[in-house]
Amino acid sequence: MIKVTIKCFSQVKYALGTDELTLEFEMGKTTSQLEQLIREKAHGKLDGISLRVAINQKYIPNETELIDGDEVAFIPPVQGG
Amino acid sequence: MIKIEIVNGPISFFTNDDSGKQDGAELIFNGRVRATEHGKNITALEYEQYEGMAEVELTQLAKATCEKFPIHDIFCKHRIGRVHVGETSLHVSIGSKHRKEGLDAMTWFITELKKHVPIWKWAILEDGSKIPSECSHE
Repeated sequence: MIKVTIKCFSQVKYALGTDELTLEFEMGKTTSQLEQLIREKAHGKLDGISLRVAINQKYIPNETELIDGDEVAFIPPVQGG
Repeated sequence: MIKIEIVNGPISFFTNDDSGKQDGAELIFNGRVRATEHGKNITALEYEQYEGMAEVELTQLAKATCEKFPIHDIFCKHRIGRVHVGETSLHVSIGSKHRKEGLDAMTWFITELKKHVPIWKWAILEDGSKIPSECSHE
């Protein structure tokens, strides 16, 4: 089993009602599979919203297998300025 | 020289530095909070950051701007937390030999900031409720 922390911001936080989740699952889970799980938890509130992935505070361009202790963020469109 | 600060509270502007005698242009940009968001009246925006990553991304962007354009200095302060209508949320200063490269660098820096730096806005409506801003520059 591995444990990952999911940081939630903006629309993701709004949809899930929390700013952080901790999930445990079998090894081999990928970022795409985790994103699907997050979207299911949001019950449609994230439909149409593009999400970029960051692992341990770095953008990850491609699907990546998660490892124990990862901090993952599904980043909705940013809005600085 | 690069200076990046993410501040939780009113922004104090960078002071003029007259020692840059190679620079013929000093550009200042201040982004302010508008009174409306997508047709709705607001009283403030609340800026949220991914703490740590936002400052790293902003610093990397400033370095990339200095590599892409022939500029000497880029200083940036971005405010987080609640920013009331009319207040400054973003302050950028760029020093360059000529105005054109400074203007180009300023445009590129702010455009890229709005694409990559993990900072978001929540709209504070007149009834006090708080919702994610719909404003996006993707």
